[in-house]
Amino acid sequence: MKIVVCIKQVPASNDAKIDPETKRIIREGQKAIMNPFDTYALEEGVRMKEKYGGEVIALTMGPPKAEAVLREAISAGADRGILLSDRVFGGSDTWATSYALARAIEKIGDVDLVICGKQAIDGDTAQVGPGIASHLDWMQATYVMAVDSIEDNNITVKRMHEDGYDVCELRLPAVLTVVKDINTPRVPTLKGRLAAQKSEIPVLKPEDIGADPDKLGLNGSPTRVVKTQPPEPRQTDTLRIEGSPRECAQALVRELKFRGLV
Amino acid sequence: MIAKTYIEKAEYRNIWVIGELLSGEIQPVTYELIGAARGLADARQCEVWTVLIGAGAGAGAGSLFAYGTDTVVVVDDSRLDGFQDEIEAKVLVRLIKKYKPEVVLCGATTRGRALIPRVAVMANCGLTADCTGLSIDPENGDLLQTRPAFGGNILATIRCPNHRPQMATVRPRVMKALEPDISRVGRIIREGILDTDADKMKRIIEIFHSREGALNLSDAQVIIAGGRGMKGPEGFRLLKDFAFRVGGAVGASRAAVDSGWIPYAHQVGQTGQTVQAKLYIACGISGQIQHLVGMQSCETIVAIDKDPDTPMMQMADIAIVGDIFEIIPEIMNELAKS
Amino acid sequence: MRYHIENKVYHVEILPPKQDSENLERDLDVFAEKYTRVMDSGYCACITDNAMGHLSFQGTEMIEELGLPVLPEQVMIHLNTFHTREDLDNILSYCVEKGIKYLLVVSGDGSERLPRLKPSDIGVQGTESITSVELLQYITREYPGKFVLGVAFNPYEPEDHEFAKLKRKLWAGASFIITQPIIEKNAVVDKLIAEYPDVPVIVEAWMSKKLHLLSDAVGYTIPENTEYDPIATLKLLHQAYPKNGFYLSLLGFKTQYDLIRDLWV
Ligand SMILES: Cc1cc2nc3c(=O)[nH]c(=O)nc-3n(C[C@H](O)[C@H](O)[C@H](O)COP(=O)(O)OP(=O)(O)OC[C@H]3O[C@@H](n4cnc5c(N)ncnc54)[C@H](O)[C@@H]3O)c2cc1C
Ligand SMILES: Cc1cc2nc3c(=O)[nH]c(=O)nc-3n(C[C@H](O)[C@H](O)[C@H](O)COP(=O)(O)OP(=O)(O)OC[C@H]3O[C@@H](n4cnc5c(N)ncnc54)[C@H](O)[C@@H]3O)c2cc1C
Repeated sequence: MKIVVCIKQVPASNDAKIDPETKRIIREGQKAIMNPFDTYALEEGVRMKEKYGGEVIALTMGPPKAEAVLREAISAGADRGILLSDRVFGGSDTWATSYALARAIEKIGDVDLVICGKQAIDGDTAQVGPGIASHLDWMQATYVMAVDSIEDNNITVKRMHEDGYDVCELRLPAVLTVVKDINTPRVPTLKGRLAAQKSEIPVLKPEDIGADPDKLGLNGSPTRVVKTQPPEPRQTDTLRIEGSPRECAQALVRELKFRGLV
Repeated sequence: MIAKTYIEKAEYRNIWVIGELLSGEIQPVTYELIGAARGLADARQCEVWTVLIGAGAGAGAGSLFAYGTDTVVVVDDSRLDGFQDEIEAKVLVRLIKKYKPEVVLCGATTRGRALIPRVAVMANCGLTADCTGLSIDPENGDLLQTRPAFGGNILATIRCPNHRPQMATVRPRVMKALEPDISRVGRIIREGILDTDADKMKRIIEIFHSREGALNLSDAQVIIAGGRGMKGPEGFRLLKDFAFRVGGAVGASRAAVDSGWIPYAHQVGQTGQTVQAKLYIACGISGQIQHLVGMQSCETIVAIDKDPDTPMMQMADIAIVGDIFEIIPEIMNELAKS
Repeated sequence: MRYHIENKVYHVEILPPKQDSENLERDLDVFAEKYTRVMDSGYCACITDNAMGHLSFQGTEMIEELGLPVLPEQVMIHLNTFHTREDLDNILSYCVEKGIKYLLVVSGDGSERLPRLKPSDIGVQGTESITSVELLQYITREYPGKFVLGVAFNPYEPEDHEFAKLKRKLWAGASFIITQPIIEKNAVVDKLIAEYPDVPVIVEAWMSKKLHLLSDAVGYTIPENTEYDPIATLKLLHQAYPKNGFYLSLLGFKTQYDLIRDLWV
């Protein structure tokens, strides 16, 4: 099995600040981490490799410093990492991001399975996984909560839905997006971490993956963020209740009854 | 598809809603999207179309007119039994190419989020996720799509100036359905699927219907939620009693879930569930933005905290200052009296 | 543990580097330096386990990877409930192999990245989540006679509750107690010592000047602008608790280490 795990580097916290002048999101000075959902994707890939043999390749598109998440992936069991980094990739929306990742996956060659996280915690769209499948014209299974088996080029998975789940079989090559129920990611070991620090991480540019520059970055992105602003605060006149616990409880229950809530 | 000039854009007309079906039944999010689409269609002076794809999809088609649809497109085929996202995507792309809608809306459900990004890539158009606001720019007729990002810290307004259709997903319970008007009528168009649509077909082995895993907090009218202030699993036992007393469900902050006091299914917030209860009682939850985005549209919010100045205490409708472990038993006493 | 108290052996807390360290080599060196210094002083190095839920490397890994010597009386490993069963057993068998016998068993703080022991992992029924009590039972059952187990005591929690918990912990196999940090003579700690005269109690002294961090750690509010002199406090605590051991949290190795040498008299 040749497995590619797509990993995004995201800001550690979501306290995004907006520059009052430019109205753009300030990302500098933020600590960056591996997208939490991608840790499950990686763990699942590594477990499959341990079970069926093969190779796990961690793939990310991002600025040069995104290399850090690839090293983290290697210390948690990936065999190698590939970084897509170039100015031309910058500003990509999910269409362009999934196009670039799909081209890289084709370039890697003979890939059986691509695993993505359910969604990234910053962009939050959950669109890149199915987008990759679409660009490659591969089958897909999203919100995967368990991989039951892989046999004769077929993979059987359990998909989560609002009203339960289903078990379905699809042909490889395919793209999966996974939810956190799927596994408990291992914590990288010091030994793995020290080894990862030594591994070579190739940096690929658009021409290295045969991507059409018109389909990348801002140029290749149909969506345009025209404005960002902080959300409007919820308007309320807070009713404050103070006093002894009994007094508070009485006042609250009276108020809730008055509002017809209990 | 690329559409840059006025003339190219004018080829695209009408607002589409992709219906959400579970076991052949039309889901509420469909009516909500039709409600939103109606407003946009009136602004653009065009029709609302609803597309129903699935085995047995035809059944409910007629009921949709009352909610504001003018035309329903039905694709009803036994090969669509279960959730065949690859096939549905191909069918939709074909329909989009044939009828050229200006806007396509879809529910941000597990199915919608699997299907519609696949469609957007094939149709070469932009897709905005989880919109909370949709409006038409009066200057150029573009769809202005507002969505939270960075866990609700930011509202971004997004536009797709050079591509049609303009596609967006919307979470359930964000838009409002219209009051049904049974005098409204419309037409139904039937479309089929081609063998080439079905070249990639999943084998659906089993389907389990259970609401248990999903723990439908989102349907609860009353939610009693606890945070780090609950101190441990015993604290949550107290909340369960409280919730039981008022016929509610138990919610939690991530701090409580990560501490292992209560399973993840109870987590409310950005990385948990979004809820819209009539009454939300937050016990020992400070109200960080990632939590607030999941519950701020509840009707009445009560906060109980010993710190009067937390964000939750500021935004609540009713704020009680004090120790939860003293106050909750008193509330239960008080409720027992009546 | 008596050995430590009788011989005035400080328990010195050392934190392993965090997983997301930006300069791991440097952090490893610092750890090795601190550890060696504690060994040379004859003190006991207490290595934390993902303290405050921050993802960090394990004490056992540090000892192995850095080739640090293990002197059985001078090493204590903290162990919390945020591990997979496999990792837990790896840590415990490594300790057995290397002769590490002191364990401080705590529930610990979780985080999204940390796995948590499930009741089924360690053969427990009838509870939803594992606490230090179940972990203690597991260790005494699976590794009989191999470890000397300690537990934490929090004087800031409601008293009845905390004493009831302690009783369960002792019953489950704990034989010594380390308190949460105190900064003056504490009535609840006094009561603890009076109630359990036969159980060694190690008093934790807060060695950082940053009292607000202590507020965060123990969950009770200390006024922000309180002046705090850790060394003077340690002296006072020695006078107040002459028969107890001492655990030093957040000890400054550069500024404080040399000052504590002759404090315990
Ligand atoms: C405020 C804001 C709003 C936005 N709204 C939209 C929008 O509505 N529509 C839109 O098309 N774009 C939008 N974008 C752009 C979008 O965030 C980027 O395209 C981003 O590169 C990928 O989208 P995501 O973060 O939503 O990832 P998701 O689709 O949520 O990520 C899912 C999975 O895909 C993989 N993945 C995602 N990105 C990468 C990567 N760079 N490298 C490797 N693997 C990856 C990971 O496995 C991840 O778990 C928005 C950006 C901002 C800042
Ligand atoms: C990417 C990302 C995603 C996240 N997603 C989510 C999410 O989906 N959901 C979520 O909830 N969080 C989420 N978080 C975490 C969030 O930022 C907060 O850390 C978390 O919500 C804090 O939980 P809390 O309010 O329970 O804890 P705290 O902030 O510690 O608040 C505890 C409160 O309890 C009060 N208290 C303590 N004891 C008592 C007592 N005896 N009586 C009365 N009051 C008492 C305290 O005064 C305090 O206000 C996310 C964070 C990140 C970075």
